[in-house]
Amino acid sequence: MTRRALVSWLALGAVLISAFAQSPHMNLGDLDLGVTLLTYLAIAQAWNVLAGFSGQVSLGSAAFVATGGYSAALVLAHSQVSYVLGLAVAAACSAVLALILAVPLLRLRGDYFAVGTLAIAIAIQAALNNWVWAGGAGGLILPVDRVPMGPDLFRLAAVVAALAMGLAVFVKHSGFGLRLTAIRDNEQAAAGLGVSVYRHRLAALVPASMIIGLAGAVVAYQFVAISPSGVANLSWSLNAVLMAIVGGAGSLLGPVVGVGIVYYGLTRQLEDTQTLSQVLEGTLLIIIVRFAPEGIWPFACRMSRRAWHSRPSASRPGDRTGGSSSNRDKDPDQGRDQDPDTVSSDSVVVSTR
Amino acid sequence: MSMDVLAAGILAGGLYALVGLGISLVFGVLKLMNLAHGELVMAGAYIASLFVVNAGWDPLVALPFAMAAVAVIAYPLQRILLTPLLRGSATAPLVGTFGISLVGQAIFQAVFGSHPKNLPASYATEGISVGGMRVQTVYVISFVLTIVLCLVTHFVLTHTRAGGAVRAAAADPTTAAILGLNVNRIYAFTMAGAAALAAAGGVMTGVAQSFTPTSGLPLLLTGFAVMALAGIGSVGGVFAAGVALGVIQSLSVSTFGGGWRDVVVYVLFLVVLAVRPQGLFRRAAPA
Repeated sequence: MTRRALVSWLALGAVLISAFAQSPHMNLGDLDLGVTLLTYLAIAQAWNVLAGFSGQVSLGSAAFVATGGYSAALVLAHSQVSYVLGLAVAAACSAVLALILAVPLLRLRGDYFAVGTLAIAIAIQAALNNWVWAGGAGGLILPVDRVPMGPDLFRLAAVVAALAMGLAVFVKHSGFGLRLTAIRDNEQAAAGLGVSVYRHRLAALVPASMIIGLAGAVVAYQFVAISPSGVANLSWSLNAVLMAIVGGAGSLLGPVVGVGIVYYGLTRQLEDTQTLSQVLEGTLLIIIVRFAPEGIWPFACRMSRRAWHSRPSASRPGDRTGGSSSNRDKDPDQGRDQDPDTVSSDSVVVSTR
Repeated sequence: MSMDVLAAGILAGGLYALVGLGISLVFGVLKLMNLAHGELVMAGAYIASLFVVNAGWDPLVALPFAMAAVAVIAYPLQRILLTPLLRGSATAPLVGTFGISLVGQAIFQAVFGSHPKNLPASYATEGISVGGMRVQTVYVISFVLTIVLCLVTHFVLTHTRAGGAVRAAAADPTTAAILGLNVNRIYAFTMAGAAALAAAGGVMTGVAQSFTPTSGLPLLLTGFAVMALAGIGSVGGVFAAGVALGVIQSLSVSTFGGGWRDVVVYVLFLVVLAVRPQGLFRRAAPA
């Protein structure tokens, strides 16, 4: 394990532990806000693993939120089991949906993936509207006595978000993730070097879908009453794309930054003016992909690193600014640069000493 | 199954073919999945509603104006915004058109309101007998219009210099550029043409059904289903696929009920992608 990976894992563990430690001392409003943000983070980060690291632009997050939410809700409503089993069923159902979708979508060129996932999101919403046993358009209400509340729900959301972050850390720092980004950057070249494109894409799709399904179950537990227009709403897909792209697709912390910016900058501010909010969201997407395609977080990192390196003591000819974490670099070698890059910046430190 | 259902399906399929033709044209030439195509269709309907509802024109008279207006909107959109995105990552054009689609929906909502509208015309609800079967007049008109527009598109692509340039840019943009073709302009013209076709589909949809700012999404997916069925690169294939989809949808409505109408189309779309990714009416897969 490289030092960067170790730092990432330790930081993730520390944040999760502190979230657990803090949860009993928070008031209900903060806990609810926390659950909302953590769910968004899990969904955005799962989208990031799919689109940012493996190049599969999904517009179907809503399909998996709905699958997870409804399967957990149905299990709880029609039996006496605890909410933990509801989560397991949510993850399993999402995995099955991902496996089914993989057959038509993963063997085609990437564009069809986006359209196919959009189609499945709409199809699931329409099917839920017509599915009488699941409550039809009115939806269904979960048994309140067995739904986790307050600190319990917050810890649950924290675990799901941590799973999403963990998946991203693993993808970022493993040989598997390196092969995945190689497929993203040049499918033919990767296949020519013996990487199974289908298997790697599937191995990214299934866990990412399970995490979105788990997040859907958390959403169902949070709302208690769910309906197709709530959990199957296309805005889940939109928010996943928006948050990850704005923050920075292909970077670990991009979605974290994106959730904060989009939630506090748009969703919270424009709760009453839905139309304006949609115009701004669409425009923001266009501006980001047109002018700052790497997203805000990698852009900020690059700028700060450039400012750091342009100081007289550190600037030297052999110094490569911003090589390692600007993921939007289409250079297929970028992942491989990481360790030498760390070493070289270490040697800079040694030599300046 | 009754013959009325079949006839209604065939005629409704004409509209699907019209929507699918624009999507297929843009994807075939620009290699762009245009997620804003549904909003181009709705732009046609809403612009026609300005003439029809406010000035009392017949929708068919408003049709060419709506087509021209949407083409004029689409040209700079492609030239200034989307063509530069095509040079970037694979993600960028998809996300960009998704953004345009969101902005488009919101603009319709702000300007025209979210309540359902339709384009009133004497033939909107009337029925006529075709070969002993009762069908809605508007679908007969849209079916004929689709045939005309498909023939025009086919003729322009195969028998004119401009069409030759479009096909050259589709086959190999780099070589086309070396030979002196302005590929960026061809792309923008193709998008404008596809937008005009979309607008025509929008006007006819607006006469046949009521529409809201979000009606573009199901139309977009229907158009993609048509493209998946047809494969890329043949106008005739798109027409056949549209009609086939119309018949399947019509049959499924009469079998399962109206609520499952779109579900059947989307599932069919995914099944076709799984078993015949090159399309039903095509032998070889280019991509």
